[in-house]
Amino acid sequence: MTRRTLITVLGAALFSLAPMLVEAHHSAVMFDDAKEVTVEGVVKEFQYTNPHSWLLVDVTGKDGKVTTWGFEAEGPTTLMRNKVRPSDFKAGTRLTITGHPMKDGRPAALWMKAVRADGVVFNPSGRAPETN
Amino acid sequence: MTTVKRLVVLALVAAASATVVAQQQQQRQAPADWQRLHQMGLAHRSASDLYATLKKAAGGGKVNPPFAQLPDWSGLWTTAGGGNFFSAGPGGVMPKLTPATAAMVKQGAENEAKGISYDENLSECGPPGYPRWLVIPFMREFIVRPEETWLSSETVNNVRRIYTDGRDHLAVDDRFPTYYGDSIGFWDGNKLVVHTNTLMARSMGRGQPNQSEGMETVEIWNTLDAKTISVDVWLYDPALYTEPWYVNRRYTRVDNADKVLRMNYWHCGENPNNDVYKTPDGSTQYNDFTFTGQKEQGR
Repeated sequence: MTRRTLITVLGAALFSLAPMLVEAHHSAVMFDDAKEVTVEGVVKEFQYTNPHSWLLVDVTGKDGKVTTWGFEAEGPTTLMRNKVRPSDFKAGTRLTITGHPMKDGRPAALWMKAVRADGVVFNPSGRAPETN
Repeated sequence: MTTVKRLVVLALVAAASATVVAQQQQQRQAPADWQRLHQMGLAHRSASDLYATLKKAAGGGKVNPPFAQLPDWSGLWTTAGGGNFFSAGPGGVMPKLTPATAAMVKQGAENEAKGISYDENLSECGPPGYPRWLVIPFMREFIVRPEETWLSSETVNNVRRIYTDGRDHLAVDDRFPTYYGDSIGFWDGNKLVVHTNTLMARSMGRGQPNQSEGMETVEIWNTLDAKTISVDVWLYDPALYTEPWYVNRRYTRVDNADKVLRMNYWHCGENPNNDVYKTPDGSTQYNDFTFTGQKEQGR
């Protein structure tokens, strides 16, 4: 199998997953799905709420200033199904987290993936981040 | 790992994912079945007529059947896809829309392409309503009793009540529009046959046209296997469609062996960080975030 064939197979397979996207409480147009932002920080609070959950992460900048980022995910049942539980992100948990950032530059993003300091990976949408 | 090896691994993962999707598609309705059922709708000039035909074919249907004769729809379910209200069916068959509806579909698609989208109902935790209920995501519970079946959805805590105790719709002069309409039904073996009318005129989905108060539907709910429920739906709304449209939707039982999953109440005010508003151009934006933490706010 050539590299080009592999890329074609990969692309076709990922394209086939697109219809799995669902509509939620609100549109996701405020997020830039063409961009990704990744930050390292410490969990401030996991707001496990309907219709959307928010993981608040304190990120310390190079100047020492702390900015609280919010990463939005679906509500509790979707997170439970995707093995993301409140106890996974207790306050103080160190992690690296990736999402689609807000278009307006505010420190918030649509949560795609998180890697805790112990190496455990979480995909709150249940999809591999590359398919988003 | 070389680049080629990485690509091989990625391709295998993607192919496995595609296989899952393909298996889901195999569970979908056969095109010949879709055509047959679509034709059944076309052969009846109204939902009431179709419902009457189905009831006659079922020998009047069963009302108040004993529990032992009812299907086991216990547990949690979620949508597994199927047809849509305004897109092509198998073979590219398109719904026949009124000019006004076609214009609304076109406008919705253009707005979506521009990234302009707002949900007049769900964004404010308003009811999705029916028939939109059929396509909304997240958890569902189906409570089946002899005299009544509840079709509930986690999204905005909505419940459809299907009366199977032999009652009729309200008298014509006493009818009034509601979000989920008035649904009566009967059992035909393990199939639940439902007629719904008196629906509100409102949006059928984000960026989609508005249904009219003339919308009426017939549904046949049926168990395909232990993990799959199918519903055939015939939609009659002369303000939307110049001829009835048929869709098939599927729902799959959610694995909950450890029983951690449960449906919870939806309230958009629970977390102020979920507060959105409609922008001047008709799109969606968040209000100011708190990000101060619920505990710090004393909640």
